Amino acid sequence: MVDRWLRREDERLLTGAGRFVADLRVDGRLDAVFVRSEVAHGVLREVDCSAARETPGVAGAWSAADLPGLPPMPGGEPAREWPALVEDRVRYPGEALAVVLGDDRYHAEDGAARVRTRIDPLPAVVTARDAAADSVALFDGLSNVALRGEAGSPIAGEVWERAAVVVESRYRQQLLMPSPMECRTILCVPEGDRLTVWSGHQAPHRLRSELAALLDRPEESVRVVVPDTGGAFGSKSAVFPEFIVVAWLAVRLGRPVRWVEDRRESLLVATRGRGQDQHVRLAADADGRLLAYELTVEADVGAYPHLGVAFPMQTAWMATGPYTTPLVHATVRSVLTNTMITYPYRGAGRPEATSPLERTMDVLARRLDLDPAELRRRNLIPPELFPYRTPTGRTYDSGDHPAALDLALRTLGYDGWRAEQARRRADPAALPVGIGLSCYVERSGGERGSLHDYVGVEAGEDGTVVARCGAASSGQSHSTVFPALVAETLGVEPARVRLIEGDTDELPGGVGSFGSRSAQIDGAGLQHAAGLLIEEARERAARMWDLPVEETAWSEGAVHPVRGTAAMGLSELVKRTGPLRIDERYEADMAFPFGTHAAVVEVDPDLGTVRVLRLVAVDDCGRALDPAVVRGQAFGSIVQGLGQALYEGVPFGDDGVPLLANGLLDYLLPTYAEIPPIDLRETRTPTPRTPLGAKGAGESGCIGTPPAIVNAVADALRLDHPERLQMPLTPDVVWRAAA
Amino acid sequence: MKPSAFDYVAPRTVADAVDALAAGAQVLAGGQSLLLDMHLQRAHPALVADINHVPGLDELTASDGTLTVGALVRHQTFESPGAVPGPLGDLFARAVVTIAHPPIRARGTMAGSLAWAHPASEWCALAVALDAVVELRSTRGTREIPAGEYFLGPFQTAREPDELLTAVRYPLLAPDTGVAFTEHRRTGFSFAQVAVGAALTVRDGVITEARIGLANCADRPLRAHAAERTLIGAEPSSPAFTMAGEAASTEDAAPVPEPYADVDYRRHVIAVLVARTLREAAPV
Repeated sequence: MVDRWLRREDERLLTGAGRFVADLRVDGRLDAVFVRSEVAHGVLREVDCSAARETPGVAGAWSAADLPGLPPMPGGEPAREWPALVEDRVRYPGEALAVVLGDDRYHAEDGAARVRTRIDPLPAVVTARDAAADSVALFDGLSNVALRGEAGSPIAGEVWERAAVVVESRYRQQLLMPSPMECRTILCVPEGDRLTVWSGHQAPHRLRSELAALLDRPEESVRVVVPDTGGAFGSKSAVFPEFIVVAWLAVRLGRPVRWVEDRRESLLVATRGRGQDQHVRLAADADGRLLAYELTVEADVGAYPHLGVAFPMQTAWMATGPYTTPLVHATVRSVLTNTMITYPYRGAGRPEATSPLERTMDVLARRLDLDPAELRRRNLIPPELFPYRTPTGRTYDSGDHPAALDLALRTLGYDGWRAEQARRRADPAALPVGIGLSCYVERSGGERGSLHDYVGVEAGEDGTVVARCGAASSGQSHSTVFPALVAETLGVEPARVRLIEGDTDELPGGVGSFGSRSAQIDGAGLQHAAGLLIEEARERAARMWDLPVEETAWSEGAVHPVRGTAAMGLSELVKRTGPLRIDERYEADMAFPFGTHAAVVEVDPDLGTVRVLRLVAVDDCGRALDPAVVRGQAFGSIVQGLGQALYEGVPFGDDGVPLLANGLLDYLLPTYAEIPPIDLRETRTPTPRTPLGAKGAGESGCIGTPPAIVNAVADALRLDHPERLQMPLTPDVVWRAAA
Repeated sequence: MKPSAFDYVAPRTVADAVDALAAGAQVLAGGQSLLLDMHLQRAHPALVADINHVPGLDELTASDGTLTVGALVRHQTFESPGAVPGPLGDLFARAVVTIAHPPIRARGTMAGSLAWAHPASEWCALAVALDAVVELRSTRGTREIPAGEYFLGPFQTAREPDELLTAVRYPLLAPDTGVAFTEHRRTGFSFAQVAVGAALTVRDGVITEARIGLANCADRPLRAHAAERTLIGAEPSSPAFTMAGEAASTEDAAPVPEPYADVDYRRHVIAVLVARTLREAAPV
């Protein structure tokens, strides 16, 4: 059945025929370049664009003072407004001070280099813990704390006092850059009363609503189109200050304006992920049964209150993890810091929940002298308890967690590695190896308010079928997967079905692609819509043939009488009965994919280097629509998880400016040379919440892999107090922990 | 990340190239450093002289005990140990695979690395350890500078702006020289946190000659003279190598802090890496 999954995107993308925003040619287009603050925090004294305006090839240059009425970022607070261009106070490094438009990016950069700015620096705070102390206020007279929240109920003191063991620890989930291959892009083309916006974006309908509101014009007058998009990982789901400036100027000048973010800008001002300081307490009885778990989160949310200040609540809601812990309490403080905002990055709140729990489980196992696999087995939620309501307010749909753990151990050859570990421990010349486990549960589909999408299936006279949905691919192979799913439902050749998405003119609404929701929600929706199309076809045929509907049937893309052989294909039916198009708003509940990841590492304690010898990932995403795509997603997210564990981080100078002058030579992403042997396995527990049964896939590696690797390093070094192992586990960190 | 406007010339002779340099040109050879600096707006040359069309600069020759590496010899050339005779070829082959990744090695040049003078450059560390000589040409003539006097600091050398680095010369190593090169870095493609190259000669059971080059252990490439002194006359043994590592770390090196590598850690790594490199280089 390989043909069913014939890939549609590869030839175009692999032969350079893809069309990304930067490839679109529009006459008279201007390129925008932003003049950016080189300080993290300070008072803006002067912006002088006059020399820039005299630069050849420059069409104009503006500071905030030159653009009265430029709207601020949406979703904030009036008292702590986020202006699209800095007005009087810089609050994060790279914040835009002015914009220069040029015939091309070269000329615009020449102009930007001639904009003169003066900023009086202020002390900067770059971690939530520092910022929460309020010794440096980002907004005078206001606390840096932007939001407080909790999940579960406070745990009584006597629970901790009576427990046989209580483990307490602190962790830092470092700031990470989502790092898609294509950075952010927007091209705004005004044409008469309409504004067409091309953007590599995850949520085109939301971008349309936000831009229309910001520009104070009707939604219908704005069309957002998402062409080929080179990755997103959560970083392309919002509106950004630069987008506002570009759209505003395009409308004001009546000319197409484009911003194609480059890597250097991206490292300064793209949204970042994670960024939490955490404290945990975990109590167990003498047999290792978990009694209580408390997670305290201080989350960096960046310089301005925005839609994302509540995102750290995801960590609180998911704090229970895959265990039957009866008492769980999680509290969150979202704190403003002098960094670009944090926003969902692949995993988005679940890695931050999984990592502290899984690391603490290993400390507990060591304390109880229990095998870490056995400790987990004693506490995993058994299959018969689903749907399972957690103390932190989630209702897990389904799962067989012990099966995933057992499959991971078998795949790894767990006992064999334990024997190898013992052998090396007896040999002073051998480098130590460590084995790390991580059991996770995540949430896919979205939160209330984003658990629906618009879907459509339309049959044409020529025999083709067009599927439409509100998702927007940034590389997830929707054009391969969704037509195949619709074709399978209708019983037609996949080649006859094509997908249209990422264009706000094509559907009345759309939610987009994030939170592992496209297969689960849009996929189930398309299957549902295809089913409705079959029902409609049968009703039309019944009327045509003067039969009761029950006397008609559907097979192989055609309707036919139950008795008799005369079948009518979709094309003929449309010719006879007119246009046939189903449009639906489909809604489903969230789901909870899960699995177990395992890592084996070898550590050189003298240098602190970590070599990952093996990674095993057992993921359960219910029904996999296209196994190759799911494997690709798992592989990619594991590599990003490897990045968080060992390589990626944003070092700051004392002045709060990231030390990333050499771009990706300083912010180290794992490359091919760093990728260890990876074994992917799956268990299949379809979600009962849709007929399709697909749950989200694609974030598991970012969630499950980092704690597995860190646990393996702690195991190799036999650390009783692994707090010094804070990610990324760079060689100096590991060397110090080992010393 | 766009360069400022610049003019471009492609000279066909060394004479034309040095004329362009006299007119203020910067040299484009492999382009792996200059172009990056131009895109990052750290270099703003008004004129770029592309020397890739000058015949003869790509020659690699060995005669009379000297290896001459022309300005256009790419890193990649040295991946084959047979490209250079004797243990020197072996040492270069061990070092070259630690330089960036294959596409960069296919374009970048050894001479370009010496001209750029990044403190973490592997070639620069080997040049000072092996007593290489740098040949510089300008409209004023030709001069040669020993590598030990050539490097002055990060990205700073004795080369005048109008001088073209036309060749690097190395004395070949005696056939019984043991060589090794090791590097400590965060990923397969990142800059070295520390790199060490070593060449050891052992006669009658004692070390008679030792050359140790250190990359990214100071503001410029270093030859670890203090470490070498501890070795001369010693038996090749782990304690001797450990002592040499300590000497390199505490006496020769002057590391500066970097993110993920403060001075204490870097000194520790230097000691470990020098000892390991010497153990590997020791002829058996």
